[in-house]
Amino acid sequence: MNDESNVVTFERSRRRPDPARVREFAVTARRLQAERQSSSELVERLLRTTPRNEWPRLAEEPSMRNSGALEKLAKEISSRLEKNPQEALALSNLATAIAETLAFDAYPAIVLAQIRAQAWKDRGQALRYLARYREALEALDRAEALLVNFGSLMHDLAVVMYVRAITLQESGEFDESRSLLNESGLIFKEHGDVRRFMYCAVAEGMLEFRLGKLLAARQAFTELLGTARSIQDRETEARLHNNIGQCASRLGELENATIHLTHAMTLFDSLGLETDVLRAEQAAALVTLRKGDIRRGLAELREARSGFLSHGMIEEAGLCGLDIVGALVEEDKAAEAVELAASIVEEFSDAGLNRRAVTAVEYLREAIRARRATRATVTSIADYLGALQRNPNLEFVATA
Amino acid sequence: MSVLTTDHFDEGHFEAIYEQYFDLLLQIAVYKFKVPDFEADALVHDVLLGYLRKADSIIDLRSWLIGAICYASRHYWRLNKGHASTDDENQPDPPDPMLVSVLDSLPDQIAARELMSRLPLRAQQILHMRFFEGCSMIEIGERLGVRSKYAQKLVAKYLKRAADLSQDPKKKTPKKKPATKTKETP
Repeated sequence: MNDESNVVTFERSRRRPDPARVREFAVTARRLQAERQSSSELVERLLRTTPRNEWPRLAEEPSMRNSGALEKLAKEISSRLEKNPQEALALSNLATAIAETLAFDAYPAIVLAQIRAQAWKDRGQALRYLARYREALEALDRAEALLVNFGSLMHDLAVVMYVRAITLQESGEFDESRSLLNESGLIFKEHGDVRRFMYCAVAEGMLEFRLGKLLAARQAFTELLGTARSIQDRETEARLHNNIGQCASRLGELENATIHLTHAMTLFDSLGLETDVLRAEQAAALVTLRKGDIRRGLAELREARSGFLSHGMIEEAGLCGLDIVGALVEEDKAAEAVELAASIVEEFSDAGLNRRAVTAVEYLREAIRARRATRATVTSIADYLGALQRNPNLEFVATA
Repeated sequence: MSVLTTDHFDEGHFEAIYEQYFDLLLQIAVYKFKVPDFEADALVHDVLLGYLRKADSIIDLRSWLIGAICYASRHYWRLNKGHASTDDENQPDPPDPMLVSVLDSLPDQIAARELMSRLPLRAQQILHMRFFEGCSMIEIGERLGVRSKYAQKLVAKYLKRAADLSQDPKKKTPKKKPATKTKETP
């Protein structure tokens, strides 16, 4: 037998797609494109001109009820997560309300599932930023349920799994987070999505960091620098430098920390990521303090705090302020420390932050005034405020 | 390459995209995962539709589509467990070092196809099965009616020929000798 006869030539084996399916694909592609183009400015304008408490009624606005408008809403949510998670949540409520009430035949079933799942995933993100982890996981459950029946949407599902992994990590469930990061990382890798694969690896590094395994975390971050550069992802490169700097600082490698944090600041600055510049500045200022240059370190911290305040980031400004208070207490400048603690109390109260946070800083102010506070007292209050972000109901326990 | 990131498209742009990837994805579903033809059509359609809303964030469309069709095919078999192909067949083959040196190192698919066109027909067919359709050696062996080990030898032989051609573009392909049963059968 001549095995040539067994070979089916490429041309002969080539199958032609069903014209009806090609048509559906092209029509959907053109429609999504058109909606994207027409919605961008429209959504911006509607959000600008509608008072926030009236945003829910925008769900009835016909021009908002399409994929393009929902994509734009997703971008608006993403841009608010850091600075204004409450507003991000309000927008995500609007997005889910629209997505869930689109007609079942508004788009091909698979596209509709993507639209709805994205809205729920974004809601999960907003809730995560507000430390409402249980609700965040419920929103992610809904997103997963919408995707799980479509085998070709595994990439979408992996994105939801990634967000779930981060949410679990922030709420202290490290094992499940690691397992999800491995699973979603593999899916991204098999889709050739190097960028998201790298994000998973960064999140695994963060997990090590949170577990206090600083060497492992630093190694993970350092190994990823090359990948970030090779795909020209400058933002991730900046974050990696920042993270390596933070690890080095905690490991007492102060020069190394300064080098990486400076890299991070330069990159964040070139990308226009102002709040990230401020965070890196805060970390670098703490390194300066640890090097013994108190005057310069305090000046740098004050500059960073002032930057946070000008961006309306009251919690970040408060935590940065506590770094200053700690240094002042150590320098025995109690009056200055009391004054600053009082300013933080006022800022927290005015911003309507969690009452427990206000109580904790008030307690610190009184402890400094009574000369009972040490650097450790300030650190414990800062740790409590950090923990309060993850668990808003955490009770404050006096330590001094 | 992205479908939806440009403002204006020629008439027929999206149709061309569909046709460009349809066959590759179908071959993967049908030959690699043994999804029945009529079901494979639907899977490929879902994969291509699923791509549309993600166009902006995907850098390597071909890899993304191949990943998606592989997961879609596995999912198909999970739902049709009674008729499932073995796990072994669902495992990706280990990367072939020669693929990296010859085909993957070429700037793009077009260059690879040009190179392929200069190979004998039989070499084209076998390399196409391996690297464009994603067939395993077992699958190539089955389609050729030879053992998988022999299929592997053929792939290696034709890859080497492709490598020689890529290094010396003027080199002519040696005239193909008629294959004989004794020579080609392991």
